[in-house]
Amino acid sequence: MKFYNYKIAVTVALIVLTVISTSCFKDEPLNSECDIEKAWVHVSDLEANFYSPNDTLINVISTDDKIVFTMRDDADVTAFAPQFTITPGATITPASGSVHDFSNGPVTYTVTSQDGKWSRTYTVSCNRMAKYTTSVIDFDFEHYELDPSTHKFYVWHNTLPDGSLGDDWATGNYGFYIANSNSAPNEYPTFVLENGYDGHGVEFITRDTGPMGKTMGKPIAAGNLFLGKFNILSGLFQPLKATEFGIPFTQKPVRLSGYYQYSPSAPFTDKDFVVHPEHIDAGDIYSVLYINHDRTGSPLVLYGDNVLSSENIVAVARVNNVNETNGQWVHFDIEFEYKKEIDPELLANRGYNLTIVFSSSIEGANFEGAIGSMLKIDKVKLTCETKE
Amino acid sequence: MTIATISAWAIMPNDGGCKNLQDFFRKVEGYGRIGYSIGGTAPMGMPAEIRKLNKFILQPNVAFGADLIKPASEHWGVLAGIHFENKAMHIDATVKNYHMQVTQDGQSMEGVFSGKNDSHAVQWTFTIPIQAVYKFSDKWKLKFGPYFSYVTSCGFDGFAYDGYIRVNDPTGAKVLLGSEENERGNYDFKDDIRKVQWGMGVGVDYFFARRFGIYADLNWGLSGFFKSSFKTLDQTLYPIYGTIGIAYRFK
Repeated sequence: MKFYNYKIAVTVALIVLTVISTSCFKDEPLNSECDIEKAWVHVSDLEANFYSPNDTLINVISTDDKIVFTMRDDADVTAFAPQFTITPGATITPASGSVHDFSNGPVTYTVTSQDGKWSRTYTVSCNRMAKYTTSVIDFDFEHYELDPSTHKFYVWHNTLPDGSLGDDWATGNYGFYIANSNSAPNEYPTFVLENGYDGHGVEFITRDTGPMGKTMGKPIAAGNLFLGKFNILSGLFQPLKATEFGIPFTQKPVRLSGYYQYSPSAPFTDKDFVVHPEHIDAGDIYSVLYINHDRTGSPLVLYGDNVLSSENIVAVARVNNVNETNGQWVHFDIEFEYKKEIDPELLANRGYNLTIVFSSSIEGANFEGAIGSMLKIDKVKLTCETKE
Repeated sequence: MTIATISAWAIMPNDGGCKNLQDFFRKVEGYGRIGYSIGGTAPMGMPAEIRKLNKFILQPNVAFGADLIKPASEHWGVLAGIHFENKAMHIDATVKNYHMQVTQDGQSMEGVFSGKNDSHAVQWTFTIPIQAVYKFSDKWKLKFGPYFSYVTSCGFDGFAYDGYIRVNDPTGAKVLLGSEENERGNYDFKDDIRKVQWGMGVGVDYFFARRFGIYADLNWGLSGFFKSSFKTLDQTLYPIYGTIGIAYRFK
């Protein structure tokens, strides 16, 4: 009998050992992220190199891999030492704070994760701001490409005063991508219009975000395009904060003009996807100029919830009633309405932000609109005051 | 009713079959069982990505069963039976760098999640154990052998919350997840659950009276909980459940 008890004991012990050995918590895995989260620079003579102290610190959005310091056109960038906050445990080469000559173009930095398995490459450049020499800035939407990281949707580039391409146009396409990663580029809310008014244009269609979008309380996605940045970080619960409107702008805008087509769809639905037959969808085209800092001088950006209501707004140009155009191009030419005087010195020192916004559903930011509503845009011009 | 009976029919000689069958059954013992299971559908070996178990919520895991034991010698015997049981779990865990894919009707979001995860698994199964039995005495029996399960209804769903996802991989866009219903990442892997599963069981019966006893079983799944085509989670999950309950000898 003792022999059998011994066998039981061994069996039970083996089972217990197996359970214990498989259920212990292991050591915490090393970090696998490799982001530059912030980039900043200390310069001895800030005034001589930067227009605004706010330009010395850049919060890097997780989807960005280009970091641009905007500096005075006569700034010395031959010995410039940007510093970086990176993911804890990650390493960066060349080192944060190392001195480089940025006068010959961007410097490439590589961040490697703590676990050594992942790396990201960033280009850091000092853009000695060239001024627009003309009073009319053309947005022809001829410079686009598939998003370099996902290759799933289009992104647009603007032409900078020196002829190079900028990254100032943003769309909400990344938000749509998250819930609809299998969609083709032309199935996104914002995509390339092959036959625009002149060459290519931009087409916007309010889309069904599918089952995943609905569970997240975002049943539709209006097509949009705006000057600013799209930051998906808190887009799930604060979608209005994902659209960071505006880029620093140093001229006084006077008129916004261009061509559009619009075709509303039906039925109009709200954020709970409830039909409101009494509503007819409309598009939206506007531009806003605002003061890009608060009273203490801290940077301030306008979002989807205050871009048309903030007290920092200086001027607005908005196309009234973007309604059915029956397949015809309609010309718009709207004057900026100024609510405040422009401070020329602040304007020259990048103290104002400008955004231009297009949307296929005017209430799209609140997830209200009609799936299928369509806006087309081309040949947009921003006319600014000529300097004496 | 059981594989034992079926095999008994199969090996039964034609002549004098009736007598043999009566002989066969005269010595067969019959047991009914009702028990409660506790356990989890878990990876073999805790992956480093799982940092902490925040909650383990008990589930209505009842198990009913009937077993026949055919003694083969003084100590040894063969058990076969049929059990109907629920293997469910509900856990809340903190994870880091956990690779997962959130899928709904053809669209999916893949990424690496750090934060909290609430998972709920349920599976009602018909299980057939086939075990070797060693009787130490009339009171004590040790049972060991494989089992085969057919899943009649099942689910595996949950949500990731209070953390962030890196879309696709750790270099992708960072998206925060909140704790409210529309701020989470919901998932449902119901369609990927394997319907026929098997594993190994070991158990002990203790009969304190002639007809009444208690039992404890451990059933360790050796086939993955999900179909082999399921690649969403990096680890293969196995149902591992222990059952304790009351046994009644009816024959």
